[in-house]
Amino acid sequence: MKDLYTMKESNLKMKDQLREESPFPWIQYVTSCYQCQKCTSGCTSMKHLELKPHEVVKLVNMGLIDELLESETIWTCTECLKCWERCPQGAAPVNLILSLRNLAVKGKAKLPENLLKTVSSLIEIGLIQREQRVPLKNLETVDREKLNLPKLVYPSEEFKGILLSMLEEVF
Amino acid sequence: MKSLAVYWGCYILTSQYQYELSLRETMPKLGVKLIDVEEATCCGFLLESIDKFASTYLAIRNLSLAEKISKDLLTPCNGCYLSLSEALHRWRVEESTRSKIASLLRDENLFFKGELRVYHAVNFLHDSLGLRKISEAVVNPLNNLKLATHPGCHILRPSEIVSADDPENPRKLDELVEALGAETINYPGKLDCCGGPLLSLQPEKSYLISSRKINELERIGVDGLVVSCPICFKMFDSQDVIRRVAGGKASLPVVYYTQLLGLALGFKPDTLGLNLNQSPVEKLTSKISC
Repeated sequence: MKDLYTMKESNLKMKDQLREESPFPWIQYVTSCYQCQKCTSGCTSMKHLELKPHEVVKLVNMGLIDELLESETIWTCTECLKCWERCPQGAAPVNLILSLRNLAVKGKAKLPENLLKTVSSLIEIGLIQREQRVPLKNLETVDREKLNLPKLVYPSEEFKGILLSMLEEVF
Repeated sequence: MKSLAVYWGCYILTSQYQYELSLRETMPKLGVKLIDVEEATCCGFLLESIDKFASTYLAIRNLSLAEKISKDLLTPCNGCYLSLSEALHRWRVEESTRSKIASLLRDENLFFKGELRVYHAVNFLHDSLGLRKISEAVVNPLNNLKLATHPGCHILRPSEIVSADDPENPRKLDELVEALGAETINYPGKLDCCGGPLLSLQPEKSYLISSRKINELERIGVDGLVVSCPICFKMFDSQDVIRRVAGGKASLPVVYYTQLLGLALGFKPDTLGLNLNQSPVEKLTSKISC
């Protein structure tokens, strides 16, 4: 079987692998989807998607996974989790989308630049960004010290080592 | 005085200082002592897109630091509340996740029993502290205000893991606002997402999403929007960006619940960091005496 738009081949083995090895246990129910489109009807990102949530599920079930890994659709989900809450079959497209993101990262896909910035900050200080100076109404900028907030205590070097080696395996 | 551990997450500690200021000011007044979880890291939410295991590890590590301090943990952030609750759920049901993470924790001399309870600020204030205690502490009732609440997503869904409120008809944040004397409204887009998790992936689209709620509320006509999550707050409070990206005349006061609570408890606006909100909060504060 072939997708006639993209000429990509179906790979059902990859689908089984995705289902069995996913770190998101909930995606095992993906094959129970009967295309009721309840996920799509409440989707926050609907207006911005090339492929709608129920179509993502359908493509996975057809084994057209490469196509999804290259699609902007998997990077346009806001994780509002309405599809998880409302799916009558427990298939929850959001877990599938996050699984596909994890798979795309392993496959060396090009990641959004801001996401990479947050990861490098995580490795450096354990938080997704450094302490920011923020503007008051009069445009003067202030930080934690100026606001008399306690000084941040960052995690140990040991922690940074653990996280770094964990992420080195992924990238 | 009841004491519990507080886990702030990243956004509050590094930029949403008004949430931290207002929670630190108001809790002692309600008889609650907060003890910071030090050396905490990101809850793992953003790593979920990269590697789910690493994300669960971060959450459990934070929980294990909190467990050393107290058997109850409060987090003011919706995103953190879900990450921590989901990780705790998996720790309890998945043997393989538990043993892999336990061995990583040992490298830092950490140990996790998995017995603590995780609260979000909303269900802690509503269920544990109680509406009566809050309304009794009010010295400056907010009688003239008509407000909309934004409960956010991650304290409601998925209800098999988080249970801060009813997933399809959340009322707790509304009841907390009403306990301060203000009126709340029901509106069609109440359950809609702020678009925040898209901010690090596709910023323009994320603000197009947040603009819908602001513009809807401008049409309905309310005195302000009450929020209980730092990411949602940023998405709705940055109205100069909303105007630039989506057009419209967005000019709606956006406040944290704890800021509103602080005003009702008699604190001065600047003590609660209201001078850090970018939306026109003067329109709201001018309607009450503070």
